[in-house]
Amino acid sequence: MRVSSSSSSSKDIARPPPSSLLKTLFVMSEIEHTLRLPPHLLNRPLNAAIKGELESLFLDKVIDKLGLCVSVYDILSIDGGFIFPGDGASTYTARFRLAMFRPYVGEVISARLKESTKDGLRLSLGFFDDIYVPIPLMPNPYHSEPDPEHKNGIRWVWEYMGENYPIDWMDEIRFRVHSVNYPPIPVEQGNDSEKKDSEEKDSRQKDLKPFVPMVIVGSLDADGLGPIAWWV
Amino acid sequence: MKILQSNAGVLTNCEVLELLKSRGAGKDPTRVIAAVAPSEFKVYDYLEQTVASKQTIEIIHKFVEDCKKYDLANGEMLNVVNIRPSSAVEIDPIIQDCDSRMGDRIDEFLENVVQVLPPYPSQLESNEDTAEDKEETTDDQQMGVK
Repeated sequence: MRVSSSSSSSKDIARPPPSSLLKTLFVMSEIEHTLRLPPHLLNRPLNAAIKGELESLFLDKVIDKLGLCVSVYDILSIDGGFIFPGDGASTYTARFRLAMFRPYVGEVISARLKESTKDGLRLSLGFFDDIYVPIPLMPNPYHSEPDPEHKNGIRWVWEYMGENYPIDWMDEIRFRVHSVNYPPIPVEQGNDSEKKDSEEKDSRQKDLKPFVPMVIVGSLDADGLGPIAWWV
Repeated sequence: MKILQSNAGVLTNCEVLELLKSRGAGKDPTRVIAAVAPSEFKVYDYLEQTVASKQTIEIIHKFVEDCKKYDLANGEMLNVVNIRPSSAVEIDPIIQDCDSRMGDRIDEFLENVVQVLPPYPSQLESNEDTAEDKEETTDDQQMGVK
């Protein structure tokens, strides 16, 4: 039994693919997955039920090398519907496309400041918070000063042509992606901390930082990068 | 789980926004009714704050057409669409070897960008604010004289 998704009137009919270009912030990935549809969903139209299951499985999760799943773009086909012995649920094999957040190296992105510490900056996009700008990638030359507003915080200031340009909290900051890392899942939380973002040095690692599956390292060290207020 | 195609197509910020809007994401404060997950709402919030909220697919197509003559890489073109630089210094990190490849045509390119891609409202507002401020100060000066 082959159920093609175009038979239902739900919104996730297979859409024509967008302009097939190479790389940008959001990319589509095509996945095939076999999933079990719990019996309590059987009264829903198949497409909607499968979509709901896929969303709970993949949304807001990082897939290694593919990035962070942002949304289910569409469902291309649904196959199967077999019921395994001893199981009340039917099993389907679905092919679908996910919209993934996967910036490429060299892309310029706008973000907000989340943390400013002695190791550098941490930026956030709202839906993704693990963007770090380590000290070597700060705009050169710079100096840091203790932040009066935040306890233990450091404010970073860029020195250019005799003027001081601080990086403030209200700014929208543009950074360029330097690298995108997918640290492997640690076996034991404490031991593998060396494999994680190399910007996090010293003893804080022993405090069991939560595992971060996707880390973006950004650079501010070029014309046009940093708070937009500096350039506009 | 099997990955059939890791890169099945590329999405501009605008297209992702359209996708979320078509599913019902909107400014409604309750945010429970639409078939959109909370994590998707965060993406929606982020994109609403960028210039993508003002773009449409037609605008992007037009822009891509206009830019064919500049011989840009696809990634660079999309990055420009997502960021909408309005000055040469903003373009510099986006386009590699900007000076040697574009040279004098950079102003022409910028004109193109600024005309075809709609600006983000805060840029318009800041222009209006400065204009209003000037009007107010001149009024004050006139009143002071009287």
